[in-house]
Amino acid sequence: MQYARRRLRFVSGRVAPAVFVLALVASAARADDAMQWLSRASHAARQLDYIGTIVYQIGPRVESSRVTHLYDDGQEFSKLVNLDGPAREVVRGDGEVRCYYPDAKLMRIEPGTFRDVFPSLLPEQQQSLSRYYDFRVLGEDRVGGRPVQVVVFEPKDGLRYGHRFWSDAKTGLLLKARVVNERGEGVEQFAFSDLTINAPIDRSMVQPSWPSVPPDWQVQKNAGNDVVPQDTGWVVTRVPPGFSKIIEGFRKLRGRREPVAHLVFSDGLVSISVFVEPLMASSSPAGFLRQGGLNVYSVRQDDHLITVIGETPGATVRQIAHSVVHK
Amino acid sequence: MNEQISRLVDGEIDATEMDAVCATLKSDAAMATWNCYHAIGDVLRRETAVTRNVAYALSRRLVDEPAIVARPARGGTGPASWAWAVAATVAAVTVVGWTAYTMVDDTPAGFAKAREAGTMSAAQMRPATVLPPDYLIAHQEFAPANALQGVGPYLRDVAASAPLRAPAAE
Repeated sequence: MQYARRRLRFVSGRVAPAVFVLALVASAARADDAMQWLSRASHAARQLDYIGTIVYQIGPRVESSRVTHLYDDGQEFSKLVNLDGPAREVVRGDGEVRCYYPDAKLMRIEPGTFRDVFPSLLPEQQQSLSRYYDFRVLGEDRVGGRPVQVVVFEPKDGLRYGHRFWSDAKTGLLLKARVVNERGEGVEQFAFSDLTINAPIDRSMVQPSWPSVPPDWQVQKNAGNDVVPQDTGWVVTRVPPGFSKIIEGFRKLRGRREPVAHLVFSDGLVSISVFVEPLMASSSPAGFLRQGGLNVYSVRQDDHLITVIGETPGATVRQIAHSVVHK
Repeated sequence: MNEQISRLVDGEIDATEMDAVCATLKSDAAMATWNCYHAIGDVLRRETAVTRNVAYALSRRLVDEPAIVARPARGGTGPASWAWAVAATVAAVTVVGWTAYTMVDDTPAGFAKAREAGTMSAAQMRPATVLPPDYLIAHQEFAPANALQGVGPYLRDVAASAPLRAPAAE
């Protein structure tokens, strides 16, 4: 018995390091696969010309939109028109995003900066991807009449949602995406029901349906402003494992006299924003809000309002909101 | 240690700390703190009106509910679901805030927790109904998965069922 135990120790002493090294190599390979897959999909979404119908499902509701995307002269242009209910549309191009709400006679202009983060994920984010998600290629399928590759990012803990993606086998374009909650239920999904890639698209097809804003409409403009990276004095003391801070600074938001502190944390796939602003009489109400795969939690702390938004379970945004302190 | 117990009760303890905290619960003092925090948590989860005697009643019930100490399932949804329930009922939450103060004001640890409970109830008096639009757009800029979807994030904006960003709200 004594011998057997010693023998076992001897064997495990030799084998364990080898297994450990193999496991490390395997996980590094998976991280590379995941990164490669993400880069390809993100590149395709930006640089392909396509037109199609997207079916969008959030909770029990299903709606469809027509999308037109053009990559011209190194710039992205797109138009999204809601096909159900009021004909709201979003037109993106020339560095801004215009949202038209005919039902409210309202047009909003937003800064249209999307960061193409995947070619340049921080090393911490890349590490989180492999440490906190299980990336797997599930096989082949068909979406919108096209052959696709199905991949899944399965979370290894309860702090993040699962993500399943169907990407066009030929171009890598994402044709279907589903967010899965802690109980394995889909909470949000989008899928192309029809799609033409490399369609002949010109700029006239990505113009708003209203050449000029009707006179009786209200126009709201959100002055484009970037977050200037700087110390805001606000700290999240209990950042959920796998999330690292990618930016911190102040930004000006419409209707607020004082700049709002904005901190962003990411695990490589999703992000969580923390906003801290001085409490005003007209401040947004506090509490929980869930919209599909997005959770929002606001809490008042002394004379400040803390709002946390993230594509994560409610418990994750809540944990962050309750651990924001001023240095 | 009290802070860790508090987080254990809230289901927010990290897996790495779990064993250490559970070990300390063998001491009477730690167990008393745990009991106290749980009484508050139990009250928070209830949506009925409560009275001063509730602490005693809950403590007795807690004795009969050893299952409550069970280690939460990995990635359990407990804290989230009870918090949702709390947010749902304004009146009940107000009562809870008051109760948490009155029933534990003689233990320092309990008081700290009660103060937190009080803050929370105030925070949840008016559950949010509309996503703050400026925040959402500012957030989307940094969400990595958005880069995959091209226009995907804007689907939330144009959906007919999306709450309209009423100009009056600003």
